[in-house]
Amino acid sequence: MNSLANRFSTTGPINELRRAKSVLEDDEFTDSAWGSEAGFGSLAKGVPNFTVPSVPDPSAFLRLHTDDYADPSCRIKIQHGTTTLAFRFQGGVIVAVDSRATAGSYVASGTVKKVIEINPYLLGTMAGGAADCQYWETYLGIHCRLHELRNHERISVSAASKYLSNLVYSYKGMGLSMGTMICGWDKTGPAVFYVDSDGTRLKGDIFSVGSGSTFAYGVLDQGYRWDLTDEEAQELGRRSIYAAGHRDAFSGNTCNLYHVKEDGWKFIGNYDISKLHYDGPGETPGAGYGYDVRVERSAAIAVQA
Amino acid sequence: MIVSKIRQCVHIAAISNRHNNLTVVEKLGRTTIFSPEGKHFEYAMEAISHAGTVLGVLAKDGVVLAAEKKVTGKLLDLSGAKEGGYGGSGEKIFLLNSNVIGGVAGLTADANSLINYARSAAQQHLLAYNEDIPVELLAQRLCDMKQSYTQYGGLRPFGASLLYAGYDQQYQFQLYHSDPSGNYSGWKATCIGANNGTAQSLLKQEYKDDIEVKAAISLVLKTMSKTMDSTTLGSEKLEFAVITLDPETKLPKAKIYRPDEIDELLQAEGLGKKEEDDAMKS
Amino acid sequence: METSFAITGKDYIIVAADTTAARSIVKMKTDDDKIKVVSPHLLMSYSGEPGDTIQFSEFVERNLRLFHIRNNYSLRPSAAASWIRRSLAQSLRSRKPYSVNLMLSGYDVTTDTPHLFWIDYLGTMTEVPFGAHGYGSYFALSLLDRYHNPEATLEEGIETLKRCIDEVAKRLIVSPGKYIVKVVDKDGTRVIEI
Repeated sequence: MNSLANRFSTTGPINELRRAKSVLEDDEFTDSAWGSEAGFGSLAKGVPNFTVPSVPDPSAFLRLHTDDYADPSCRIKIQHGTTTLAFRFQGGVIVAVDSRATAGSYVASGTVKKVIEINPYLLGTMAGGAADCQYWETYLGIHCRLHELRNHERISVSAASKYLSNLVYSYKGMGLSMGTMICGWDKTGPAVFYVDSDGTRLKGDIFSVGSGSTFAYGVLDQGYRWDLTDEEAQELGRRSIYAAGHRDAFSGNTCNLYHVKEDGWKFIGNYDISKLHYDGPGETPGAGYGYDVRVERSAAIAVQA
Repeated sequence: MIVSKIRQCVHIAAISNRHNNLTVVEKLGRTTIFSPEGKHFEYAMEAISHAGTVLGVLAKDGVVLAAEKKVTGKLLDLSGAKEGGYGGSGEKIFLLNSNVIGGVAGLTADANSLINYARSAAQQHLLAYNEDIPVELLAQRLCDMKQSYTQYGGLRPFGASLLYAGYDQQYQFQLYHSDPSGNYSGWKATCIGANNGTAQSLLKQEYKDDIEVKAAISLVLKTMSKTMDSTTLGSEKLEFAVITLDPETKLPKAKIYRPDEIDELLQAEGLGKKEEDDAMKS
Repeated sequence: METSFAITGKDYIIVAADTTAARSIVKMKTDDDKIKVVSPHLLMSYSGEPGDTIQFSEFVERNLRLFHIRNNYSLRPSAAASWIRRSLAQSLRSRKPYSVNLMLSGYDVTTDTPHLFWIDYLGTMTEVPFGAHGYGSYFALSLLDRYHNPEATLEEGIETLKRCIDEVAKRLIVSPGKYIVKVVDKDGTRVIEI
């Protein structure tokens, strides 16, 4: 009945699909020759027609094959567990993430890059579907570059994040899964925006996303001040990711740390979370973040005194 | 919805743009020739200048509209205008919405189509906003449509001008005029149709700011009697309407006079047929 | 949990909305402004499905702005409310409805009267002397039935609003922290501190 109704209705995914196909076929008559997009080529055609599964209900189809909770043997496993954080302070923006990819209870990778380098001034973080984040944030990078070429100035973090949120909103309910922070430096100074696949977009000073976010917040909120020094801020980002990596089973392995300043972002380092536990970020055994390590250390200091 | 409408317009603009990029005449065989106020307008304006006069006067507390009927004759059956309906004989003056009266000059068939459009536009506004359509917005709706008939090939513009007399909350009483090209303008007093030049200069002399409806009615009838060809005024040659505020409900009240009411009014103003006239005729 | 109130007075309306933006159990933001100024004398408070709220409120904002640019005046509160209700009702029967609850508070400058419209995501609209959305409404509505005074001055109105906020803070398990409060009257809209 549904498919019959679909065939005769003017809306619905099937028709969306048909329309998308006809747009593609019509493409040989390129839009670049006329109208407001003249000269910008096919990349400039606003919201793209992303191919969706050719079934009556694409989102149900996707759910059927990706829901590892209901069906552990499902065909596509989407990476869910993560900890990512970003915060704004006097010296710019700190972005820190873990590097674990899990599929169900299996650690699929321990060396995932969860910070997406959109351009030298913009970073995006990755939580939820890895492919969704990678694809759309790369796509966002293309549009940020086009914005630069057309307007002779860099896109603001606000505009870039709004572009992404409008984009994912147009796919709302179709199975996209992203929780991302768009971080950068523009005319207004350091900026962080939270954007997710619901279409939510929030401006703020501190955000953390992913299954380990609550653990990260616990350390981050307590250690945060606006006038943190660069070193203090980097340490806070690292420690927060360590905390989540330690407590959340779906986060861990290593921590990637970035610092965005006026002249763009800089990669600070990659830190093994187990090593952070025992030795801390340096090469000093016993200077670790771990509870036992820390408590033993202070006990030793007390004894000395 | 407004936003999507704009997008549509942009789309149309883009398509025509695409045609301009081709060598239009060669590839399509024919094209729309752009000549401002081309032949069509001459015909349209011509039709209007021969039409029966329609005259409007804006007063402080209302708007008055009068029109000269051209289709007359002993055999014309006007019984429908006497009984039922909202008044008028349906040639020149129409109720467009509860707050707007329209007066038309020009090709009657074209005008009927415009009136139908205006009534639909007013209802659409009521549906979307749950309020009577503002007068200027109604004029704009019609003018947007009239304009489109001036831009595309193979179309004939509407051979009719309209007067809109109405009331809305924002700007109170208003009087507008629109012509076949899609231009519109607001007036204190104006006139369209035959002899409109004479009428307008008369109005210019006689009109005073702060005029009230009672005086406006006299002014309209006096001007009509001087403009019209016939020596005496009567309901068979005249349509008449007034829009005021209902003192109780404070809502606009449109009144289109019935033939007997017009004769009564003319008598009261001393412009009606005298008993002797009838006697002399017979 | 999302809560908003609106109270009409003699010649004004006070609107209050909580300022938390939450994802599952986490407060992502504690100073989120969920009351939009959609035209010079019109406030719209919104709550509901994340994403939809922003998209719909910006859609409304832009369309009312467009009307203002085209006509050099703004829609009156009742006309704006009717249009918004219609947009929601049309959306409800579309493939992807907006799940947004609204309260529209406006001051009609043509009649010098305040108007408050309560609208839910199904397109139900009613004009009310006071209104509330969210869990807070379960406490505030009875309270306002008891204490609301349509002739109250602004100061008295604010006192009544504080009663609502205090009651929700006292009884609701997860009560919203801060509120943003705005007023609309003959002078336009403004934020007030309470």
